[in-house]
Amino acid sequence: MLQKLKSALKNAAKTLYVISPMLLAVIGLVGLFKTFVTPQMLHTLFNGSALHDMLMGVGFGGVSVGQPFLSYIIGGELLDEGASFYGVTAFILAFVTLGVVQLPMEFSIFGFRFALVRNLLSLVFAFLLSVTITATLRLFA
Amino acid sequence: MKKNKSGLVMLGIVVVLYAVLFFFNADKTLTALKESLGVLKMIIPILVLVLILTALLNTFIDEKSISRHLGDESGLKGWLLALIGGILSHGPGYVWYPMLQNLRERGAKDGLIGAFIYARAVKIPWIPLMIAYFGWTFIVVYTVYVVLGAWVQGVLLGKYMNCNRKKGS
Repeated sequence: MLQKLKSALKNAAKTLYVISPMLLAVIGLVGLFKTFVTPQMLHTLFNGSALHDMLMGVGFGGVSVGQPFLSYIIGGELLDEGASFYGVTAFILAFVTLGVVQLPMEFSIFGFRFALVRNLLSLVFAFLLSVTITATLRLFA
Repeated sequence: MKKNKSGLVMLGIVVVLYAVLFFFNADKTLTALKESLGVLKMIIPILVLVLILTALLNTFIDEKSISRHLGDESGLKGWLLALIGGILSHGPGYVWYPMLQNLRERGAKDGLIGAFIYARAVKIPWIPLMIAYFGWTFIVVYTVYVVLGAWVQGVLLGKYMNCNRKKGS
């Protein structure tokens, strides 16, 4: 068993070595996004109409990167500024489930077709869930 | 996993991007670099944890039990495992990809991998912050729909991948 564990650890380390260039590249992009795309820039793009906000939410959520809590803070501020729940929900969902920046990494690990279909489905689901979540909230309100 | 050149190419592109941006705005580019180093520091412990987890999975869980718990015969239990795993998984998604691919290569269903990744949109540690911003009702509704969505998306992804495999073979 110990022998097996040793070789498994070695394999895991090798995996890390293989993915490290892509990992460093993605992390480098994360830093650039965090510095050059500010929350203020995102703010100016939401105007409160459902479809417009959803498109913006999915678009910017999909290209933004960082800790998920960033999306909650930005989303919360957007809501205060008058953006609709449609847009904010779409933004939060796309922020976590879509990753344009890490897409090359997903392709290289999972293979092209799996990664592509997974991301397309997540794109559709960001819209679907934003609509259903907002509609359900309206029922309770 | 194949040895990939795309990683090196990506890294090259990012390095060039930094060099060009440094030329235009040195201060901001250095801030970006600092941010990146911060992210690197944050994910290293998680990365190590995931790699150890992968190694343990490889040592103690064989193909047979993977196919029983996550494979074609896994049924409802497989879905629950994937959804709960996704909700509990910590850190950025890409850190988990190698482990997920490893499970996939050893017989885990495609749909379950997709459901795991989508379920990551529920973040338990951040729920207090979400309540502060959006209120209780939103969190409950959001969580229920995300979990449902992850399941449906997993089913669709699995169906599609299966269809194509059959066509391909």
